[in-house]
Amino acid sequence: MKTVKVTIDGKEIQTSLDRTILQVARENNIYIPTMCYLTKVEPIGACRLCVVEVEGLDGMVLSCQEKVVDGAVIQTNSKALQEERQNIMKLYALNHPLECGVCVKSGECDLQNKTSEFEVNEQSFSLRDIKRKVENWGVISYDSSLCILCEKCVKVCNEIVGKGQLKVEPGGYKAIIVNTKLEDSCIDCGECMAVCPVGALAVNDFKYTTNPWELKKVPSTCTFCSSGCELSYEVKQIGIENSKEKIYRVTNNYEYSSLCGAGRFGFDYENLVTKKDEDEFLNAIEAFKKAEVIKFSSLITNEEALLLKKIAKRVDAKLVCSDAFGFSKFLRAFKKARGKSLWSSTQKKLSQSDAIVVFGSRIKDDAPVVKNHIAMATKRKKAKVVYMHPIEDFAISNLVTKFIKYEPGSEEAMALMLLQVFANKEEMTQDLQDFVDDIDIGFLSGESSISEEEIDELKEEFWKKKRFTLVVGADVFNHPEVENIAKILAAIERYTDFELLVIPPNGNSLGVSLICDLVEKHEGFSVGYNAPADYVLSALGDGDLGMPALNQQEGTFVTLDKRVVPLNAGLEYKGFILNDIANSLGVGSTHTIDFTKELPVDKGFRSIEFDSLEVKFSVDGDDLRGYELETILCDSQIELSEPDELPSYDGTVIYIVNPASNPNPFTNRAKLTSSEAKLIGTKQFASAAKISDGDVVEFEVCGNYISRVFKIDDTLKGTFALNPTFDMGLKAFDLPIYRFSKVKIKKRG
Amino acid sequence: MSLEQFKRRDALPGYIFYEAEKKPQNGWESFKRVLKRTFKGELFVGLWIVFREMIKRGNSHTLSYPQEKLAIGPRYRAIHKLLRLLESGNERCIGCGLCEKICIAKCIRMDTRIDENSRKEVSQYTINFGRCIFCGFCAEVCPELAIVHSGEYENASEQRAHYALKEDMLTPLDEFKANKQKEFKGFGALSDNADSFVKKTPLAY
Ligand code: SF4
Ligand code: SF4
Ligand code: SF4
Ligand code: SF4
Ligand code: SF4
Ligand code: FES
Repeated sequence: MKTVKVTIDGKEIQTSLDRTILQVARENNIYIPTMCYLTKVEPIGACRLCVVEVEGLDGMVLSCQEKVVDGAVIQTNSKALQEERQNIMKLYALNHPLECGVCVKSGECDLQNKTSEFEVNEQSFSLRDIKRKVENWGVISYDSSLCILCEKCVKVCNEIVGKGQLKVEPGGYKAIIVNTKLEDSCIDCGECMAVCPVGALAVNDFKYTTNPWELKKVPSTCTFCSSGCELSYEVKQIGIENSKEKIYRVTNNYEYSSLCGAGRFGFDYENLVTKKDEDEFLNAIEAFKKAEVIKFSSLITNEEALLLKKIAKRVDAKLVCSDAFGFSKFLRAFKKARGKSLWSSTQKKLSQSDAIVVFGSRIKDDAPVVKNHIAMATKRKKAKVVYMHPIEDFAISNLVTKFIKYEPGSEEAMALMLLQVFANKEEMTQDLQDFVDDIDIGFLSGESSISEEEIDELKEEFWKKKRFTLVVGADVFNHPEVENIAKILAAIERYTDFELLVIPPNGNSLGVSLICDLVEKHEGFSVGYNAPADYVLSALGDGDLGMPALNQQEGTFVTLDKRVVPLNAGLEYKGFILNDIANSLGVGSTHTIDFTKELPVDKGFRSIEFDSLEVKFSVDGDDLRGYELETILCDSQIELSEPDELPSYDGTVIYIVNPASNPNPFTNRAKLTSSEAKLIGTKQFASAAKISDGDVVEFEVCGNYISRVFKIDDTLKGTFALNPTFDMGLKAFDLPIYRFSKVKIKKRG
Repeated sequence: MSLEQFKRRDALPGYIFYEAEKKPQNGWESFKRVLKRTFKGELFVGLWIVFREMIKRGNSHTLSYPQEKLAIGPRYRAIHKLLRLLESGNERCIGCGLCEKICIAKCIRMDTRIDENSRKEVSQYTINFGRCIFCGFCAEVCPELAIVHSGEYENASEQRAHYALKEDMLTPLDEFKANKQKEFKGFGALSDNADSFVKKTPLAY
């Protein structure tokens, strides 16, 4: 990009041609006031507060939209500008209710701040007020009398969340924001509320419970999926009568990053242990001493994973982690074939891609924020999105350009076909070229029930596209042929234009897979850390000894962006923690976070103290939290094989998936995110299983008897039903099976 | 008095010179002074004056506390009160939290919640008088003139912590109905000429 020289407020600045005046100013610590500007979306241009003067140009220009030109001399402050801004603020304040004293936003309100900043002490405009009412949108309510029509909410719902729920109903002074299609598609993610600069959008449950400035902010990381989004727990005493602290709300750095509904509203899942249970602690130590297997879920911090590894070594036990085992196999096979330990794409890169394939994931539920980045790509880069999955997802049909349906179990075939279609064969070794040429597309397409044309059309679909990303989800990790799929995907990343973005199956599956040497299963006495076992330590509070939940712990997670990010304890935990047990066994340390610097360097971790991990973003919103995991290089060996026969799934097939709003047993403990677990299936499924809407049905998944209310969803197709696991407690983390499974459905009663 | 006179520092002529008693020069003289001072009747002169004033009638300059109490000026800052709105009798406090924030001793705490009419309600409000320094900031910052100081200054307590709850400070309804709520005139109250500071907004419609 061409560099240009501009002068802002007398300061000479070198920058590139594609930057706006506002961006350049901010990079250089020059303040320009804004009201509607939001870094993470394209400039809105609704407030005009960001006006500046450019020498030689008549009038004022909007600095948030205007790009810099060479030699421009820009003034951000003058008497005329000040007056203009004052008038804008007066118009905002026109008939604005004088209710700061009882407003949820008071203390962090842009309107409050800017009216005092511009010394708006009197009103020179007037207009007859109209009657306005507060609307309830579910978790959130909208008060149009407080709304300043900055359109941030409209923009994020469309550009970030990809829902386009909100629109401005024009009408001058009467204009308001309306939530269209409210019932069926607002996903209660709260993004709109988070960016609202005033009190117009507020969380009903939080409203009036506290004044914002009384809250203490604890910066941390969301643990519910591997996106590992930045968030802060905001805590305060429960009340005058009870001085224990509780989390009142979760906020985030909304200027740069986003959160899904579960992350934003599912915060009160702490384990309320009131004291140290000495007797049970001794039992726990005994249990560990005689353990032959230590089972755990990958919803734990890296430090805990390292502690478990040390304990396992000490007591000579094997480590079993059902929800990360398949992924760790994937990772190993991928590394060997790719010659690199990790995939190359990140969420940021995904949002800048213009050709996206989503493969093996119900993406909006598995990783809502990855879906957000896909939405950004479609809105900003006009990306074509091909969604390949056995079950079509109606809720994101506005983002998907092409849906390719394949049979469950045929991920291997799909990956091979992708490789064949997109490979740049010239770069391949002769063996691999021969292999790719020999792929029996006819057989594969027959087995996976997609036509060869469909695959060929893909190539046309992406004609003239430049930046390719393949998003790979959790369906493949427990596929029986996961290793071969990993190798094929490695070959795709190496020999096609695609960069890979892999979504680990659970919060910290990546960290766990890198740190621990896992085995699939092992017989003998087992101790479970957040996993069902003979002796159970549980953060859900239902085990033999309680353990802190992830909002009560310090530690680090590894995100799918391959960053090691810090978690801080929002709430205090009074009981024993894993480190206490480790100490009794002689492998602990003073604090759990002492192990942050001991995380394995040969796996890409760095020897950095926990306390020096920062939470920050660049001016452009690049995630600079913690540090980036180093990608370890090794020799690449690609030896692929073709499946002889693909498994078939006929009859009543269920798919294990939790809704984005309630992804795991922890969110199911939280007040705003808990819900009733229902089996949601198609009409076809109902008739195949001989059940109807509202029936209570029973079935078995991986040794667990489950009984649920069945519900028909007309938007689904095929003979499928979606089965959530958030109500299964720790068992939800112990389902080492492929996500599609054939079940016998029995009607109860 | 002219400046000239004022500047004279030679202590003349209005002053009387008093020749002080000579200091004893030796042990004998000191002994003589002790004897003289001990047996002179001056002590009884003083005692007589005190006795005379004591028996004189109608000569008291103090109040017989606690039977009698001094009226406290309106700006005196004693124990707090929470007032009610004059018209409706509703609580004045809207829960804005400014008093809690400004309190220098961090002794105000409040709980708020959303009430049945979707309005903000102050469910509890406490002040720890053991920590309060009676600075008056809370009354001054309160936009509603809800938290004010009263003339109630008797706050001796056996404990250091001495909490007042909302119900202790809020004007009781019966007292309110009997028109006994006193308007606050102290720090933070509207001045008599407050009206003249109000700038009117144009109401063109
Ligand atoms: S939105 Fe802001 S300015 Fe308006 S009442 Fe609320 S705090 Fe005050
Ligand atoms: S909650 Fe989310 S989906 Fe609903 S309107 Fe707001 S941004 Fe859109
Ligand atoms: S609701 Fe909030 S974010 Fe949306 S337009 Fe109004 S002020 Fe802006
Ligand atoms: S008088 Fe001062 S110290 Fe006492 S409650 Fe009010 S602000 Fe706090
Ligand atoms: S400042 Fe006044 S209105 Fe605000 S919370 Fe305190 S007492 Fe209530
Ligand atoms: S920030 Fe530029 S118009 Fe609002």
